Amino acid sequence: MSHDSERSISSDESDPQQIRRLLDHMAEALEQNEVPLEILNNEAIYQRELSQIFGQTWTYIGHVSEIPEPGDYRQRTIGEDPFIFTRDENGEIRVLFNSCRHRGANVCRAEKGNTTHFRCPYHGWTYQNTGDLVGVPQKGDGFDHLDADDHSLHEAPHVDEYNGLVFACIAPDAQPLEEYLGGATWYLDMYFDLIDMEVIGDPHRWVVDADWKTPTENFYGDNYHVPMGHKSAIDVGIGSETATGEQESELYGIADCDGHAFSVYQIESEEPMFWGHPEEVVETFNHDVLSPEQYEVARKSGVTLGSIFPNLSFIFLGGRDDPNKDPVGTFCLRQWQPRGPGEMEVWNWILAPADASTEYKERVYEVGMSTFSVSGNFEADDIGIWDGIDEAAGSVFAERVEATTQFTMGTGEEAAATVDDDWAGPGTAYANGGLTDENQLDFYRTWHETMVNEGAE
Amino acid sequence: MQEDQIPNRVTLQHECEQFLYHAAALLDDRRLNEWHELVTDDISYRVPIRTTRERASDTEFSDTSYHMKEDWDTLKVRTERMASDFAWSEDPPSRTRRQVSNVRITDSSDDEIELTNNLVIVQSRKSETEPDLLSMKRHETLRRDEDGYAPEWINGPGLKLAEREVLLDHTVIPTSSLSIIL
Repeated sequence: MSHDSERSISSDESDPQQIRRLLDHMAEALEQNEVPLEILNNEAIYQRELSQIFGQTWTYIGHVSEIPEPGDYRQRTIGEDPFIFTRDENGEIRVLFNSCRHRGANVCRAEKGNTTHFRCPYHGWTYQNTGDLVGVPQKGDGFDHLDADDHSLHEAPHVDEYNGLVFACIAPDAQPLEEYLGGATWYLDMYFDLIDMEVIGDPHRWVVDADWKTPTENFYGDNYHVPMGHKSAIDVGIGSETATGEQESELYGIADCDGHAFSVYQIESEEPMFWGHPEEVVETFNHDVLSPEQYEVARKSGVTLGSIFPNLSFIFLGGRDDPNKDPVGTFCLRQWQPRGPGEMEVWNWILAPADASTEYKERVYEVGMSTFSVSGNFEADDIGIWDGIDEAAGSVFAERVEATTQFTMGTGEEAAATVDDDWAGPGTAYANGGLTDENQLDFYRTWHETMVNEGAE
Repeated sequence: MQEDQIPNRVTLQHECEQFLYHAAALLDDRRLNEWHELVTDDISYRVPIRTTRERASDTEFSDTSYHMKEDWDTLKVRTERMASDFAWSEDPPSRTRRQVSNVRITDSSDDEIELTNNLVIVQSRKSETEPDLLSMKRHETLRRDEDGYAPEWINGPGLKLAEREVLLDHTVIPTSSLSIIL
């Protein structure tokens, strides 16, 4: 892919001036429910995102099922920083910085595997998978002064798990993960506590000429784009029954949920919906872990999507890859990894209920892959549309006219989206949730707050 | 091999190459429906995910996760969708040029031929001057079929694609979507 998005705009401003101008403009624009277009491709803003967002908040690392055995490891990144996600010999999950304490070389060079030790290929310094330095060649002759205890691999200072989802935070001080997730836990419990989920195989990874914020914004709750953006897939009869119109559903947009947001499609029916999972799979769920209100939302769920700040999104979809096959419940978890201003790498994991049959898990995988992945019949069209936003965002003209993107849907007097005070879960629930931008505004408000947070520097 | 079989071997090699070139040209020319008519009802089409592994590991390819894992029906869905006026990933369409090489027959019977080949796809979009490159090896099985593709000089049934496994050289796909057939 050609990286014509790397050009920064012609400007005499220093980086701090540029950041201040854009964040001030953003504060004003948010008052009008707008967002400066320039933030989607600006080098100075991008560098600040790496330190202020990915260097400060909890970010997703991986699922426990990806490293089930002691010694299992997978390479991961926090922002652009290289880490090893591993389960040590004692079964403890660790997030180690993939850089030898001696000269900085990567000690782990495969994407995944199983090992008790990581040995640096440069001079042979060797670390246990706990991070402890246990071997320095010719230590007695050259490094007799070195205290090995002070030279363990660096590790993320905060690592925690919520229902199998492992997050890390590289800031010195971090609020507890559960507090960071806040109201989002109520929703996450429906997918990861009600159901024991497992990741199938390896993630899809691909690069896209779009800023990481563009898909994140979309997965915060842009349900307005579905009929137009995904017409080609809907026309051939695939995807969810709510998208194809086979099932009538009510869409609730959940905003105001501690910085995270969800879209919940509810199907009014006596039948259990549970995202299209058939009865024999629903039987394997942990039916007693949810509150009655949560359970009822899960029972009526056709499709759910959402995002955890900053860059973790998911879609739980009852759907199919072929109009002649039975629908299944498929779960795609995705992370929009920053790889430069206006550039990202997508990671996409497909998850299935761990206690379902092998055949069913295969179908879950096939449907997930064929809807949301690099070859996904839905995903491909999203990305085809986003390609080009980066060029407009990085343009001189965007700066000159102070171009903004619009998040004013549902703010008029006749707006169809209305707050549902009876909603049982946390956050503010909007009925007709496809006709409000409140979810996406939440993303940008949280982004702005995090970017201007001086206390975090 | 007996000496009198050599002309048959050369003919078969040529026939298989002609099939692969024809199928590649159909895709480059966006004649997706015609391409789909050249796959058997029981086609297995797979593009497993590759990961960077240590040399000592058995394989770099996943046996559970794929970029594409298709049968006749899902390939039909894909080719129909790609031809839609609303498939934004391919409208305006990308321009592709498939280079098929290193065609080697590994096994053959009267009905089926197993072979491997290399494929490089040069894909250009919009006004970009640096095309995306997709590089891969393919294992395939071709099967004799009355409705298959046959060059004019062949008497008897032509060939259809019954199995294709695409082994990509990429762990991170360098194109923004895989909205083409490999």
